[in-house]
Amino acid sequence: MQPASQTNGKINLDPDNAEHGLAQLVLTVIELLRQIVERHAIRRVEGGTLTDEQIEDLGEALMNLEEKMEELKEIFGLDADDLNIDLGPLGSLL
Amino acid sequence: MDRLIYLYGLAQTEEAASQPLPPLKGFDDTGDLYTVPIGKLTAIVCSLDAKEYAEEIIKDRINNDMEWLQEKAFHHHETVMKLAKMYTLIPLKFCTLYKNEDSLKAAVQLNEGKMLDTFAFITGNEEWNVKIYCEDEQLKKEVSENNPTIEAKRAEISQLPRGKQFFEKKKLDKVIASELQEEKNKVSEHIHSRLSEFAVRGNVKRTWSSEVTGRQEEMTWNGVYLISKSKVEDFLKQIQQYEKDMKEKGWQFQASGPWPAYHFSSFS
Repeated sequence: MQPASQTNGKINLDPDNAEHGLAQLVLTVIELLRQIVERHAIRRVEGGTLTDEQIEDLGEALMNLEEKMEELKEIFGLDADDLNIDLGPLGSLL
Repeated sequence: MDRLIYLYGLAQTEEAASQPLPPLKGFDDTGDLYTVPIGKLTAIVCSLDAKEYAEEIIKDRINNDMEWLQEKAFHHHETVMKLAKMYTLIPLKFCTLYKNEDSLKAAVQLNEGKMLDTFAFITGNEEWNVKIYCEDEQLKKEVSENNPTIEAKRAEISQLPRGKQFFEKKKLDKVIASELQEEKNKVSEHIHSRLSEFAVRGNVKRTWSSEVTGRQEEMTWNGVYLISKSKVEDFLKQIQQYEKDMKEKGWQFQASGPWPAYHFSSFS
């Protein structure tokens, strides 16, 4: 599989390589959601309303999610920059 | 038919009179550059067709015609560079146009005092630009390994249960990132103040994003310095020294010049 790093923050949806472009797109969306969840969780933990057990469960779940994400990136030959789409005048997604 | 006047820069009449302008092609690639003496100041200009180079047409081309913009910006830059090599020059911004010679004269006369002060300020000096880049990874490692507070925190975290570790690690990452930023600023500011000692004046410009620089390393400093010609060599030596001493730690330096004194002269 071709590495996606030459895409420069743009999703590469060329017809011969559509599945790879699609994988990049899907992973980008997942990564965005993952980061939102993570930030929200951090806020909840810092808010001090969760029990120790809840914090522990949440932390473990997020850690596993992060690891899983790393594995997926590895499988599709993508790195963090590939999942950070260039939104033009709005800057980068992540 | 009225002709517009495109102003490249201003020189001192005394200097301009002693060194005639070589043939240089104007902005429209047909006419030649010529000089307009206005008292102690001499404007270096070319004339342009008023219809073809009307304000709205130029605006439209700047916004929509990349190729044209690139070609013309290059022409402006090249021409100003050539002029700055010949004279002490107050360079003008890209596409500075006057309706006719009279309006140019009026504008120059209005600002004469300020311009003469500027000439006194920039004569015998050169403008140099220094960009400092930093490879985050190396410095990050150093920051996080040599900081006792971070080290202690890390030991503390490793005793925690797995789930809690996750949140504490994230917090620590944030601390490291801000320490890193602080360290980069501190080092850059120190270098800037050291370099400013060589200069008549040192100014700080906005740093460029990696999209503009095309480099992986982040630009941590973008400074311009007006330096007396006799001190340029020492200035550059100092930068080379920094380069040598700090390369291992991921720092890179890029000095360029001499530039026309764009950042130390304004005409308005």
